[in-house]
Amino acid sequence: MKKVWAFLKGCFVLMRKGSNIYYAWVTFLLVLMVIGTLAYINQLYSGLIVTAMRDQVSWGFYISNFTFLVGVAAAAVLLVIPAYVYKWKPIKEIAILGELLAVSAMVMCLLFVTVDLGRPDRFWHLIPKIGILNFPQSLLAWDVVVLNTYLILNFVIAGYMLYSLYYKREPNMKYVLPLLLFSIPAAISIHTVTAFLYNGLAARPFWNASILAPRFLASAFCSGPAFMILLFQVIRKWTNFEIKDEAVFKVAELIAYAMFINLFLLGAEVFKEYYSDTAHLAPMKYLYQGLNGHNDLVSFIWTATFFNVTAFLLFLIPQTRENFITLNIGSILIFIGVYIEKGMGLVVPGFVPDVLGDFYEYSPTGIELLVTIGIWATGLFVYTMLLRIAVPIMNGDFYVGEDGVHPYIGDQLFLVRRAAMHEKAPDLLSQ
Amino acid sequence: MKWGMVIDLQKCTGCGECVAACKRENNVAIVEPKESAMGRTMLWMDMLTIYEGEYPRLRVRQIPRPCMHCDHPPCAKVCPVRATYINEEGIVAQIYPQCIGCRYCMAACPYTVKSFNWYKPEWSPGIRNTANPDVSVRPVGVVEKCTFCVHRRQKAKEQAKSEARELREDEYQPACAEGCPTGAIVFGDLENSRHRVNHLAHSPRATRLLEDLGTEPKVVYLKEGD
Repeated sequence: MKKVWAFLKGCFVLMRKGSNIYYAWVTFLLVLMVIGTLAYINQLYSGLIVTAMRDQVSWGFYISNFTFLVGVAAAAVLLVIPAYVYKWKPIKEIAILGELLAVSAMVMCLLFVTVDLGRPDRFWHLIPKIGILNFPQSLLAWDVVVLNTYLILNFVIAGYMLYSLYYKREPNMKYVLPLLLFSIPAAISIHTVTAFLYNGLAARPFWNASILAPRFLASAFCSGPAFMILLFQVIRKWTNFEIKDEAVFKVAELIAYAMFINLFLLGAEVFKEYYSDTAHLAPMKYLYQGLNGHNDLVSFIWTATFFNVTAFLLFLIPQTRENFITLNIGSILIFIGVYIEKGMGLVVPGFVPDVLGDFYEYSPTGIELLVTIGIWATGLFVYTMLLRIAVPIMNGDFYVGEDGVHPYIGDQLFLVRRAAMHEKAPDLLSQ
Repeated sequence: MKWGMVIDLQKCTGCGECVAACKRENNVAIVEPKESAMGRTMLWMDMLTIYEGEYPRLRVRQIPRPCMHCDHPPCAKVCPVRATYINEEGIVAQIYPQCIGCRYCMAACPYTVKSFNWYKPEWSPGIRNTANPDVSVRPVGVVEKCTFCVHRRQKAKEQAKSEARELREDEYQPACAEGCPTGAIVFGDLENSRHRVNHLAHSPRATRLLEDLGTEPKVVYLKEGD
């Protein structure tokens, strides 16, 4: 136990050290977090009236972000499978970055759900034994269970691995491997359960399609890895952590498959709705064509569709997939495309038009945007802090010192431009 | 015992007295006109207006819509904290101090009967004095809905118990049924063959809203004849 404390203390010392860029970045995130918190305090004080939600559209931007981020978190599994099931070395080296991203995304998910609650002071009603959790009947109760399990699971796996490396021990795979293998079905379950949350409502035909859960998974395996590709490049450019090109390209290849399945499933659903042309077509018509003059989402969803198809082609062709410019364009397109499709494009048409045929066109208010920005900043802050610890440990720049108590910190800067370092290094040697 | 309601659309004139009576009886918050225009009107009993066809063949239907008190309530199934549940007499209830305000039940309800307290309800002094002391006012951030005036059942039941007799049909009537000037709303025990609802619910004109969803509503409508 004493060793754990020493490790945690070392981590805090480490987190306070860094280059000016590191300080600037963290300060920037903290400012956004403070702004988000202030906006949230405003919402707490006035009630959810400050949002654009109302009785017809009772979920909005917060739940859209939540749904998208569950996908990002679930996608960590796309690194765990090649790394630990197929034991592919280039990805094994970076699998921990995926697990840490899952932890950060889960933190954001839980925050998004919390800010959406009308009575966040009563969140403890969700804790089994203390409150009354309606498990296993309510899918939201399932979601509470699986999201927290997945968060703890990834935190424990990554934490234990880093802890072992810090004390220069081989992680005992006897404990870690079962957890890692369990994290694969757990990742699939978080997104499946989130899909079922919508899927189970007979009153909402747009969600009540059995194809929803597979679509969720397919799109998650696009957006999460696309986000990771972008992050990997930032990490290897700004820290001295090595990520091999082939690892990045392998992830891109997996995205191409996932995007194919995603587009295929979307096509299957569009065909079914349009060809059978029942009353249940209305929400989809509202989304893709506009209905009765209500067409707020039309331009968004076509942008998303165009982005997803373009990115699919970019990732399908090996030449464009292995060119960093087109690769990055593709990743950004997928990120935006899925953010629209699995966010507002999913949540809002579930409510519009409502059963009585009423239309209410939802678009988030300034407060909702500020709170959302604050939560994204919190997620990035958590990820930055986790990387601040993980990157030096994995590079061998942060480990327990000779005395067995105090840490040795080799990497004082953390965030620095790599190119500059490479240029300077030979000069120093020649002198 | 299964409390239920029959609404005869042939008799209903769409006057809206049920809506007003409900609002008074249950201390349903009065929403500012600005918020009301934005779709935040709070009504436990709503008057749905459905336009069919176009002028000159336009036909307007008025349908009073309380909570359907479904036998298979989708809202009770999805609530993560069991704040909404169906009781042994078939009334779907909402426990306000238990509700966390996630609004999952609103997404699940096919009849859009649930209202959310988007802000702290304000009561001007004049209105506060006319509030019904039998019904609690709801705090900000919870979902509320029609209860079939369950507080009236409580009172009537206690009265009957103190007089050591069975509850009579006319003793427990929700405010909407009591207020309806044409007697279009009939309330009672659907399983008791002496109650009028029991007969009316089996009328050939009887229909329920969105029956194909399998919610088994306990509010039965009698269709209009032409």
